[in-house]
Amino acid sequence: MGGIVGYMGDKQAQPILLDCLVKLEYRGSDSCGIAVLGNSIDLYKDAVRVRELAKVAPQLSGVVGIGHTRLATHGEPSQINAHPHLDCSGNIAVVHNGVINNFQRLKQQLTAEGHHFVSETDTEVIPHLIEKYYDGNLEEAVEAALRDVDGSYAIIALTVGEPKLVTAKKDSPLIIGIGDRENFIASDVPAILDYTNRVIYLEDGDIGVITKDSMRISRGGTEVNRKQHLISWSVEEAQKAGYEHFMLKEIHEESRVIRDTLVGWVSEDKPAVDLAVMRGGIESMLILACGTSYHAALIGKYIMEELLSIPVRAEFASEFNYYGQTLARTGAIAITQSGETADTLKAMKKLKDVGCQVLAITNVVGSTASRIADQTIYTRAGSEASVAATKSFMAQLMALYWLVMSYSKIDARRLADLIMELRQLPEKVQQVLDNETKILEYAKYVSRYECVFFIGRGINFPVALEGALKLKETSYIHAEGYAAGEMKHGPFALLGSDTPIVAIVAQDNTYEAMLTNIKEIKARGAPVIALAEEGDEAIGELADSIITLPRVDAIFSPVVNVVALQLLAYYTARERGCPIDSPRNLAKSVTVE
Amino acid sequence: MKQAVILAAGEGQRLRPFTVTKPKVMLSIAGKPILHYVVESLAQNGIRHIVLIVGYKREQVFDYLGSGERFGVDITYITQERQLGTAHALTLAKGVAESEFLVLPADNLIEADTIAQFVTVNPEAVLVKRVDNPLRYGVVTVDGEVVKAIVEKPRETESNIVNTGIYAFTSEIFNFIEAELDIPEALSNMLAQGRLINAHETQGTWLDVVYPWDILRLNNAVLRQIRASMAGTIEAGVSLKGVVSVGENTLIRSNSYIVGPVVIGDGCDIGPNVCIFPATSIADNVVISPFTEIRNSVISDDVNIGSGSIIQDSVIDKGCVIQGHFTACSNEAEVRVNNEHYQVSVGAMLGEGCNLGNGVVAQPGLILGNYSQVKALKLISGRLPDKGLVY
Repeated sequence: MGGIVGYMGDKQAQPILLDCLVKLEYRGSDSCGIAVLGNSIDLYKDAVRVRELAKVAPQLSGVVGIGHTRLATHGEPSQINAHPHLDCSGNIAVVHNGVINNFQRLKQQLTAEGHHFVSETDTEVIPHLIEKYYDGNLEEAVEAALRDVDGSYAIIALTVGEPKLVTAKKDSPLIIGIGDRENFIASDVPAILDYTNRVIYLEDGDIGVITKDSMRISRGGTEVNRKQHLISWSVEEAQKAGYEHFMLKEIHEESRVIRDTLVGWVSEDKPAVDLAVMRGGIESMLILACGTSYHAALIGKYIMEELLSIPVRAEFASEFNYYGQTLARTGAIAITQSGETADTLKAMKKLKDVGCQVLAITNVVGSTASRIADQTIYTRAGSEASVAATKSFMAQLMALYWLVMSYSKIDARRLADLIMELRQLPEKVQQVLDNETKILEYAKYVSRYECVFFIGRGINFPVALEGALKLKETSYIHAEGYAAGEMKHGPFALLGSDTPIVAIVAQDNTYEAMLTNIKEIKARGAPVIALAEEGDEAIGELADSIITLPRVDAIFSPVVNVVALQLLAYYTARERGCPIDSPRNLAKSVTVE
Repeated sequence: MKQAVILAAGEGQRLRPFTVTKPKVMLSIAGKPILHYVVESLAQNGIRHIVLIVGYKREQVFDYLGSGERFGVDITYITQERQLGTAHALTLAKGVAESEFLVLPADNLIEADTIAQFVTVNPEAVLVKRVDNPLRYGVVTVDGEVVKAIVEKPRETESNIVNTGIYAFTSEIFNFIEAELDIPEALSNMLAQGRLINAHETQGTWLDVVYPWDILRLNNAVLRQIRASMAGTIEAGVSLKGVVSVGENTLIRSNSYIVGPVVIGDGCDIGPNVCIFPATSIADNVVISPFTEIRNSVISDDVNIGSGSIIQDSVIDKGCVIQGHFTACSNEAEVRVNNEHYQVSVGAMLGEGCNLGNGVVAQPGLILGNYSQVKALKLISGRLPDKGLVY
């Protein structure tokens, strides 16, 4: 995928194009570029995200222009391969979203006819074809060029000497936005919705021509009428896809996030990355992260210690930056959803400086973290709008399982069992989601209190931390996550009938100890909500209420437990009427130290 | 016409256990929910504004369709809190309806061809189709191309033309819905007041799903249309005949024998030595172990089938883990749905997340509730409830 945009009107094209491109970045963002028509075509493009480009781009003067944000298909992300592409003369510029199937043949043919190609992209054949057929009328040339093309496309072309934009589509989305003395072309409606809500949807085979005050669509030379639509929905509403909040939408996406990760992995038995340090057999590992990602790092520590039998340190990047004299020299992993977290980036640079190999786990392709790192695993969460991270945390966990299991030295039979368990996780998570009305009941209960403890042991200790973090950031309830065994070393002094405890009861070697902890807490009069596996009867006698979760291998228990805690936080915040998707004082990605 | 109102709020009680965890419109047919085909057909016919009336288990619809971007449509969701019938559902769309719009049920298999001409007809109009068993539908009597009467599920009839539940309306329709719960009643009102309703007949695919075994019928219809595609890894010695579609990152191991039409999704691990015969759909992230034979069946996401199994005319829902030597042979069977008995030729129907031990034998017509556990070597038959335990 990729996204295209075109503008023609009274205003300067450049800022409008860049603004629209930002909204198209979800379609791909490994490179971008714009071309503006003045006396000649001025072009600026690079293998960076739109906001980066906007910072460094020179001012291109003109009121007609096209732009593109790209997800590489043919040819790696690079300055040369970024769109717009030009013909030999530099007088025709084209942006394209889609795939040209017969571009190799066309390229050979055009090269033989004397055309000169500079990029590896399939797109570049289009401006050259237009050049070949151009005879003073851009529309006719585009139509002729597209007759030679086999594939999918949404394109916008412009040329020197004809102040207009010509656009065409086949199997890729394309719309025209009608403004007041200005018109727009874009891959989708949200891109232009800040400027106009009058939209025309083009059909396959349509060719459109816009100027600042006219718009014409034709098919095979005959003009056609396409109805104008008034878009009443806001961009945000559309993106929430029926849900009241992004956070709930994103929690519900977790089952799919897990399946997407698995689908790209287990059958083909591909390692997440070919990690030299891992292959060589490492003696220890350092994992760095902040916030929710740090909780993923802590779970990663448990997974690695169990499956790789090496000691692992998980550290807050923000702390590591100020001490860390015993630097890891073998390998380190940095986890950051946005890839722009300032503390994490600083820690990565510090490690790189001493020659340490750094692997980044991030959700954003082309982010700074991925550029600093030696290698990167991209999590498959898709873009996350809620400030409280949910699905990106899940995708981080899946990336860690993938990474560790690819290099694990455990018994092959145990590994096969784990992989089979892993394949069931999307369904298990769906079961938790299907049970959300039950969790809503407990949320109503929790919402009445001002202080809540989350306790867990072993691999579920970080889950308790994450449960508490989710609750505090969305509902503003003071919540603390604790290792269950540590409660008696202080926090017991706080317990009473108005401090509910959320206890994660896992079916592993911590089970008996956890039951003992719950008894101790009950003796201090605190109400207990337990997260327990179905079929656990002993817990029924102890806890005041139970959130029953499907049975999974203990090593995967964080996956189902965290979904339940995310839902608990969400519904508690909703009960309290909090602004869930953008809590006070918080930002999605923390780009300051 | 540029707008469509899709009715997707229904539960589909007769399709339990499959509809305990999802609405009827999300039943998986050839690896995609029925709703997918409806939306795709509309998009292909240039209808980009979709109003979706959702209700029962609506989150599943949200999760699948999202904003509609993937289909090139925009979607407005409206919730029908209680499922009070199709006319009531339609009135909820009154505030967003354009002057002309289509109405479609999302639990019917509707292909692009089916509605290609209908999107251009003059409202009010009903899309009708000739069928062999009209008595289970609303039977339409026509005079030329004009509707004379619609009778719901008549005892007997001379017409074999039935109402597909697909309509072209103007906003006038809202004036004819008062206490009526279903759209055909509103249409009868219109006829009674002398309004003209056109009947437009289609030859295209229109299949509805009422009983669990209908899933196989719809699956067959979709598979007849698929195109071959190959994205996974095919090991040496695999035979692929007929039209076979294999998704990304799927591995088909040596000596497997697959006769299309067969659809296999993404990230599956199949074989070695697995036989898959027409017309079978296998969704994403499915494992099928050696020496298993699957015929005319629908296997949903995340299913794991052990070696040496035989699965015929069966529907296996998401996340089932089935150990080796499972037998689900097809035969004539009497199946009970809501205390009515039906004679059908079918294998087994397994709800979501079931766990079956080694060597389980399912009698033809078995309906196993969601999340059931069956110990090794058990013979199971009839209808078992959700979370059933067979020890």
